[in-house]
This record gives sequence, C-alpha cells and structure tokens, in this order.
Amino acid sequence: MSLSRRKFLAFGAGAAAASTGLSGCGSRSSLGGSDELSMWTWVGSVNDDLIGQAEKAIPGHDGLRLSMTRIGSNYKTKVLTSLAGKSLVPDIVAINDDVATYFPNADQFHDLFELGAKERESEFLPWKWKLGVTPDNKMMAYPMDTGPTALFYRTDVFSKAGIDIDPAAVAQLAPDWDTYIALGKKVKQAVPGSSITDNINSIFSYRMAQQPKRYMTVDGQYIGDQDHVREAFDLAIRVVKEGLSANAQDGSTDADAVVTNGKLVAFNAAVWWAQLGPKNAAPKTKGLWRVTAAPGGAGNRGGSFLGITKYCKNPEAAFAFISWLESAKNQAQAFLDPVLFPSTPASYTDSRLAAPDPFFGGQKIVEVFAESATKYPGAYFSPYDSIIGAPISAELVNVEVAGKSPDQAWNDAQHQVERELTRAGAI
Amino acid sequence: MTVTKALPATVRSTDTTAKPPGKYRQAFPQYAAVAPFFILFAIFGAFPVLFSIWISFHDWDGIGSMTWVGLQQYSYLLGDPKFWQAIGNTLIIWVLSTVPMLLLALVIANALHNATRFRSFYRIAYFIPNVTSVVAVTLVFGSIFSNNFGLLNAFLQSVGLGKVEWLTQPWGIKIAIATIVTWRWVGYNAIIYLAGLQAISADVYEAAKVDGASSRQVFWRITVPMLRPVILFTAVTSTIGGLQIFTESRVLFGDTNNIGGPGNAGMTIVSYLYQSAFINNQFGYGAAIGWALFILIVLFSIINWRLIGGRDNERIARRAARRAERNIAAQKAAQQEDAEQTTKEAADVH
Amino acid sequence: MSIERIRTTVGHIVLMLGVVVSIFPFYWMLVMASNTTPDIFSYPPKLVIGSHLFENMGKVLDNIDFFGAMLLTLIASLGVTVLILFFDSLAAFAFAKYEFPGRNFLFGLLLATFMIPTQLSLVPQFVTLAEFGWIGSLKALIIPGAANAFGIFWMRQYAAGAIPDELISAAKVDGAGFFRQYLTVGLPVLRPGLAFLGIFTFINVWNDYLWPLIVMTDPNRLTLQVALDQLNGIYGTDYSMVMAGALMSVIPLIGVFLIGGRHFISDLAAGAMKF
Repeated sequence: MSLSRRKFLAFGAGAAAASTGLSGCGSRSSLGGSDELSMWTWVGSVNDDLIGQAEKAIPGHDGLRLSMTRIGSNYKTKVLTSLAGKSLVPDIVAINDDVATYFPNADQFHDLFELGAKERESEFLPWKWKLGVTPDNKMMAYPMDTGPTALFYRTDVFSKAGIDIDPAAVAQLAPDWDTYIALGKKVKQAVPGSSITDNINSIFSYRMAQQPKRYMTVDGQYIGDQDHVREAFDLAIRVVKEGLSANAQDGSTDADAVVTNGKLVAFNAAVWWAQLGPKNAAPKTKGLWRVTAAPGGAGNRGGSFLGITKYCKNPEAAFAFISWLESAKNQAQAFLDPVLFPSTPASYTDSRLAAPDPFFGGQKIVEVFAESATKYPGAYFSPYDSIIGAPISAELVNVEVAGKSPDQAWNDAQHQVERELTRAGAI
Repeated sequence: MTVTKALPATVRSTDTTAKPPGKYRQAFPQYAAVAPFFILFAIFGAFPVLFSIWISFHDWDGIGSMTWVGLQQYSYLLGDPKFWQAIGNTLIIWVLSTVPMLLLALVIANALHNATRFRSFYRIAYFIPNVTSVVAVTLVFGSIFSNNFGLLNAFLQSVGLGKVEWLTQPWGIKIAIATIVTWRWVGYNAIIYLAGLQAISADVYEAAKVDGASSRQVFWRITVPMLRPVILFTAVTSTIGGLQIFTESRVLFGDTNNIGGPGNAGMTIVSYLYQSAFINNQFGYGAAIGWALFILIVLFSIINWRLIGGRDNERIARRAARRAERNIAAQKAAQQEDAEQTTKEAADVH
Repeated sequence: MSIERIRTTVGHIVLMLGVVVSIFPFYWMLVMASNTTPDIFSYPPKLVIGSHLFENMGKVLDNIDFFGAMLLTLIASLGVTVLILFFDSLAAFAFAKYEFPGRNFLFGLLLATFMIPTQLSLVPQFVTLAEFGWIGSLKALIIPGAANAFGIFWMRQYAAGAIPDELISAAKVDGAGFFRQYLTVGLPVLRPGLAFLGIFTFINVWNDYLWPLIVMTDPNRLTLQVALDQLNGIYGTDYSMVMAGALMSVIPLIGVFLIGGRHFISDLAAGAMKF
C-alpha cells in the first residue's frame, strides 16, 4: 500500500515541486556528520563519563565519534516523528519499556541478531533480553538498564510516627499492600499531609509492575479486563480514598513539588526514581531516605533499550558501541551515576556497586534492587499496551481529581479500550 | 470606517470595451507578480488539503504502510466521546475567553478614548502581552495557577478563602486557559476598538451632548452601535483564533495520557488532532479530525461572513446610527415626560 | 469641571489597574527567575526579586542551546519576513493597481484561502515535507510561509489607497515596465505598510509554536519557543531556571516592539478598520 501513497505523492507534490524547482535533494541520511554516530536518549538514561569517552572516539572505531542528544521531554513523540519525517533520523535511539509498541515498525531498525547480538545473550537477564525480540524473532532492541522496584521511605518522618526505621523492620511491617496502607495511615496521623504516592496512577503502575501478566497474552488475546488489572485499579483507588495520595498528576507543575516539599514520605517505585525523584528534587533530604523490599513483591517498571535505525551510517560500529556501553562493567558504572540498574547480573557483584550510598544513609541499596530484579518473573508487553494503558490511566485520574465513580471509570476505560483495539484491528 | 468594497478603480492598461488579442500575454508581469503566492499555496495549501482526504481514508502511523479503511476514521470520529469533548472544551474555553476579553477591551478602549494624557504609554503597556510568546506566558500563568505553590492560591489562602485546585478541576483548567487567552488579547482588541472610537465623528457626540444624553446613554446608544462592525471584526478573529487554541493547553499539561490535563478538561480540538497524529501516530485519524475542524471553521466563517460582509457592514453601521438617533430622540422624549411627570407629582404633593 | 476632573481621574485609575494586570506577569516572571526553586515552592511565596537571576540564566544555557535556538529563530523569522514583504507587496501592487484578466477571480480565490485553517493540513503538510526531505531543516520553517493571503490582502488595501494612479501613469509614459513601476512607484509609497507587515510577520514567526514543534525534529535545532517548552518538560523541572529561560526569550521581542511599537499599533488598528 505504501506504493500507492508514493504514486499519489509523485503525481501531486512531486510533480508540482519538481516543476517549480522547489524539490529538495531529499536527504535520506541519518543525523550528524559522516564521522559521527548520532544518538538520542532522554535525560538521565546514561552515564555521562562513558558517553564522554565515546564522544571523543567510539571504542574500537577511532575514526568515529558519538554525537549525543539528551531530550528533555516528549521523547517517544520525537523519535516517532523523526522516523515519519524520514530525514535527520539518529543512528541510535534509546527506547523505553514500551519497546513492543515499536515492533510493527521493526523494519525501521536493524536486526541486531544479524550484527552479532546472539553472542551476548548469556550476559543479560533472560526476561529483559526477550523484551527486545520481535515475535518473528528479530532483535530490534538491545537491553540497557532495568527498573526493579522497591519501597523508598523517609526515616525522619517514619520515626516521628514511632516506626522502626530499619529497612528489614519496615519490610516486615509492610509485606503486602494492605499492611502498607495501614502503615501509611499511621504515618499520616503522626505527620499530617504525608502521602505514599504522588498520584493514583503510580500505585496502579507499580502494582501492575509486580504482575506476571499485563494486558494481552502472547497469542494476542485481550486480558486487560481481567481480575489482575481490576485489582491494581481498585488498589490505586483505595490509596486515594484513604487520603494517601498527594494528587500531583504526571506532567503537572506539582509532580516535583511534592517531593521537594516533603509531602511524599514513602513511595513504592523503580530504582531510577532515586535519581529523578529525591536526588534531583529534594537534595536537602540527603541521608534521610532508605529503601527496602516493596510491599506486594518484586517488580519492574521501566528500564530501557537501544535500537539502531535503518538510516544508520555504520551499523557495525553502532553495534560495537552499544554492546560496549551495556557491558556488565559499564552498566555497573551507570548504576553509580545516575542510578541505572544493570540488566547484566555480573554487575551485581561488582565491588563499585556494593559501596554504601550516602544519600540513603550509607545503605547498600544495590542489594534491595538486585533481589527485586532477579525475583521478578517478567511479563509480556504487547504492541498495544500503550493504547490499552492510556484510557485506564486517564480514567484513574478522573477518579482522583473529579471523584468519578470507580465502576463507571472502569467501564468507561474498558469501553474505550475496546473501541481503540477494534480500530487498531487487534481484536 | 472604510470597508472592503468591490475592487476600486484602477489604472486600466486596456480599454474594457475592445480588448485586443494577447491580453493574457500583456498581463504576464501581473501574473508573475501574483504567482508566488498561488504556487506556494498549491504545494503547501491546496495539495495537502486534497492529500489529507486521501490520508483520512487510511489507517497509517506515518512510518509503515498505509491500509485502506474507507470511511472508518470518520465513523469512529462521530462516535468518539473524546472528539466531542474536545469540541465542547474548545467552545467553552472560547466563550470563557472571548466574552470577558471583548467586554474588558471595550471598557479599556473607552477609557483610553477619554484619556488625553499618557495615551501612547497606555497603548504600549496594553499591547505588550500580545507580542509576548504564548509559551512564555503560559509558563508564568502555570505557576500562578499551580495547585500547590501557585500565587493565586497563596493569595486566596491569605485572605481566608480555601485553595482551589485550578489545574486539576475541569472548570479550573478551562478558566486558567481562558485567562491566558484573555490576558494576551484584551489589549489588542482594545487598541482596535480605540481606532473604531476615533473614527466615530465628533459631531454625533456633540449632537448627543446638545440633546442632553448622559455619558452612559452615549456609550450604550451611540458608541456601541457605531462600533458594531469593529466588534464583529474582533469577534471573527477571536473565533478563528479560539477554535484553534492549542499552545496554552499543551504547555500547561505536556504530553500525558490525559492530554489537556486531568479528565482531558483542557483538551482542545487541535490538541486532540496533535495527540492523535503526532503522539499516537494515527495520521489517518489526525487527518479526519482536521476535516472536522475545517467544517467547524467554515460553519462559523459563513455565519460571520454574513454578518460582516461588505454591504451588510455598511447597512449595519447605518442602521446603528439611525437607531442611535432614534434612541436618543426617544430617550429625550421619555426624559421630558419624566420631567413633566415629576413636576406633576411634585405639584400633586403640594 | 470638577466632575470632568473626577471622571478623568477615575479613568486613569481604571487604566492604571489594567496596566498593572498587563505588566504583573512580567514582574512575576522576573521574581521567579531570580529566586531558587525551593523559594518558589515555599509558602508564603516570595514576592520580591531575588539574587539568583544570573545563576538561573546560566543553568538555562547549560540545559539548552539557547543562543543556537535564538539564532535559528532569528534566521527563520527574518527569512520569512523578507520573502513575505517581497512576494506579498509585489502581488498586492498588481492586484491593487492593474487590471488583468481573471484578477477578480484570483483575488477571490486568495480570500477564500483564508478559510482554510492551517491545522487542517497539519498532517499532510508534514508528510509532504517528509517526502521532500525537508523535515528538520530551516526550509520547512521558511518556504511554506513565504507568501500569505493575509499579507497580500492587507497590502492591497493599503496600496489601493496610498499609490496615486497618476504616478503609475507617469512611470508608464517614461517607459518603465511593471517591475520597474513596482520598484520606483510602489515600494517607496508602501514603505509604512511594509514596516507594519514586517513587524507583524516577524513577531508571528518568532512566537510560532505548533508548526516548529512538529517539523523541527532535530533536538539540536529547535526554535526558541520549542526549546523553552523543552526546558519546561525536563523531568525534575527546575522552575526558577524555566522562568529565567522564559524571561530571556521574551526580552528580544519586547525590545523590537518597544522600538517600533508605536507606529505598529496604529497601523494594526488602521488595518483592522479596513476589513
């Protein structure tokens, strides 16, 4: 069908433009100079020292250097728009945990198996590796970090509520979500205004992140209307109804303010939040935070991948670069700064990771997250997960900010999902 | 008040009664002069419009291959609650911004008209918001309206009123967006009204004064009717601008699943178009929404066109002037009656 | 007389209140840009200008290529402005002062294009430019907007009244061709109109957001508005830095406006009267 579009264009714009001499040279190359590999990622997803080395010269390819762009916002939109724009597409792009949504366009990327990825498979967490491979067994995306989850909490606030602040004690006190909510209420009583989540969707997302299944089965059946989703949905609403959410919606001006002003006193979150949350938004709380095993069990949210686009000037060099960047040794370095959790288990025993983190009062936080990462069962992400997740999360916001009835919200969300999936031809 | 008439008299290069052959060739320089616009329009205006029909018949993410789906995008659109919500939001925000904006502009223009001193200072001060970028303005207002640290809430709290969650409540969001639009455009419209006021002949006012009309009467019975064409002009521009609101909503809320804020309360038609096409990569659907927006604008334009079309315009102005005279006459008569009444009543009391 | 006096005073008070409302957001921008983010987030809020302005401006320069974005925006704005001034005034001159077959039809067609909202063709325009290979380049910002119906319409209204027919007849007698007539008779008379259209176009392109947001896909080549939005979107927003960025982005344009503003405002108002 793309032929007919081209034909249409050829008859229309092409002809008109050519006849007036306006047609551009139609540059179809990738972004950056011929001695550069261009790469896009979002802020805080790489270790700056390693990138600095590659910006001088790509290891093993002296004539090439990396040209890195850190994108502050709307990352995915920018990548997809540049792919649709067909020019100035970067050689290498970082891809988030919604990697499966790119699978229908896997032909825009190089198959990393063809570039020698198979040899590296044994270095990585199996569940993580699988996420980057398409159903027809092409490797579209190479693992970067993972996002094991754990419970972050403020020791100063917890002790005001008379809670033993030792991580093991907190874990024992709140092994599941029920006990965790009870704990949250106790803290709130002692320190009014305390919240255990920034907003309703974080609870939902982190509960979903603990589940072995998500919205679709591998053979394409929709299961987003089943009990495991409803349970996470109801749990999120319960936390809000208990008054334990700070009601700071994602993307709002308040999202960081609740960390800065100390409203968020405990948060079941992924490892990368350590940097993006307290370290960035509340540097003054240094030493006050601890992490412990999350209520409800091990989980994973986020964690990213790298893809090499078909526009790439030198796929071999690009692959050499990404496999160097994501080696166990370098992933260990990325954990130290900016707290990216390695997808290579060999990193977990790296002596640098075992160092105490002063921000967490000298705690060795790697132990907590390593346990979560290795215990996490993995879950299937379908290409439709984003369009399924969007209405659900939108309806949750309606419950939190507008007091919409939970059943109504659930039904509306499911109805919307059904419409979207029907349009997408998924069901 | 000059209005668009039929094209005015021009230098005629040829006699209209006996056009010599080769008149097209003779007019070649003129064609060449107007050609750039039409060529650019053909490529970047007309062709894309046709192309968008083609795209809207497809399911396409802009990257992979296109799948023909016929009218499916349109049938989805008609049954899409988010689309109707976007239209509703847009119209509400449009009303919330246009009505106070035009009223305030009228008040300011009137005050400016009466003020003789500092007039150019005022004009510049009022116009500055309009040349400031929407992005920067929205960032500032976003912090003023912020739920947790906003200046507005701090003020409300300090005077003993509770906080309002401006940026999470459906009405709060619409009010915030409408406020930004109003703030940016009040001065602009006031300047235009001022020009309209200055075009009203002083004689009319003199006559009214002689007839003893009060200043309020003058404002409502002379000024406003005489300004009607200008008011309609500003209403048209505000309508076209209002139907295309996008930046305010997008900068306030960014790209989240709830585009335009919680409950999509600030999601405008263009926000929804942008989200569909460039965030969800549904180019086909984005093209279909574009057509819906087009139909909406044409609808409003036809209404406006009829209202301000050249002849209508003059008729309205004339009618307004006549009505003003009539009103003043009636008013005077009524006043006289009143006066007589009062004297009579006074006499009765005695 | 004293009632007149009171009315004038009340009028000035109302106007000054309006001025305060007009100007306050700029002051507030400066307050936030010169304090630290924790100051901004605190209650009660700080209402006075702080001492961190340069520090925050420095952070802006660290986070985005501010001057690069400004240069790009300047080039795009100037590019569009120059092309529009030329093409629009040339077309307006022809429409206003010459009779040629199909003139009324063409002018009607031009007016009809007003009705087409730019957003209608957002998607197909993007796809068309993608096929040209223009996405991400300055061409995408400049060429599609190089001539517009508004400018031609506005200039035509201006030219019809401002250019005396006798001057053109005289030039013709001297044997000047159309283009020469445009240069020697049209342009000099149109200069005030061009000044207005120039400032108007420049401001619009400078402040445009949606179109550059879509077509400037290379994050290292953004216009100022998009770069500013990007600064705001960074996860873990440093609010005072964002405000410093906003402040830096509005200063140049306000400068341009303050220089050419007075005439601009009168011309704008006069133009609106012509519709």
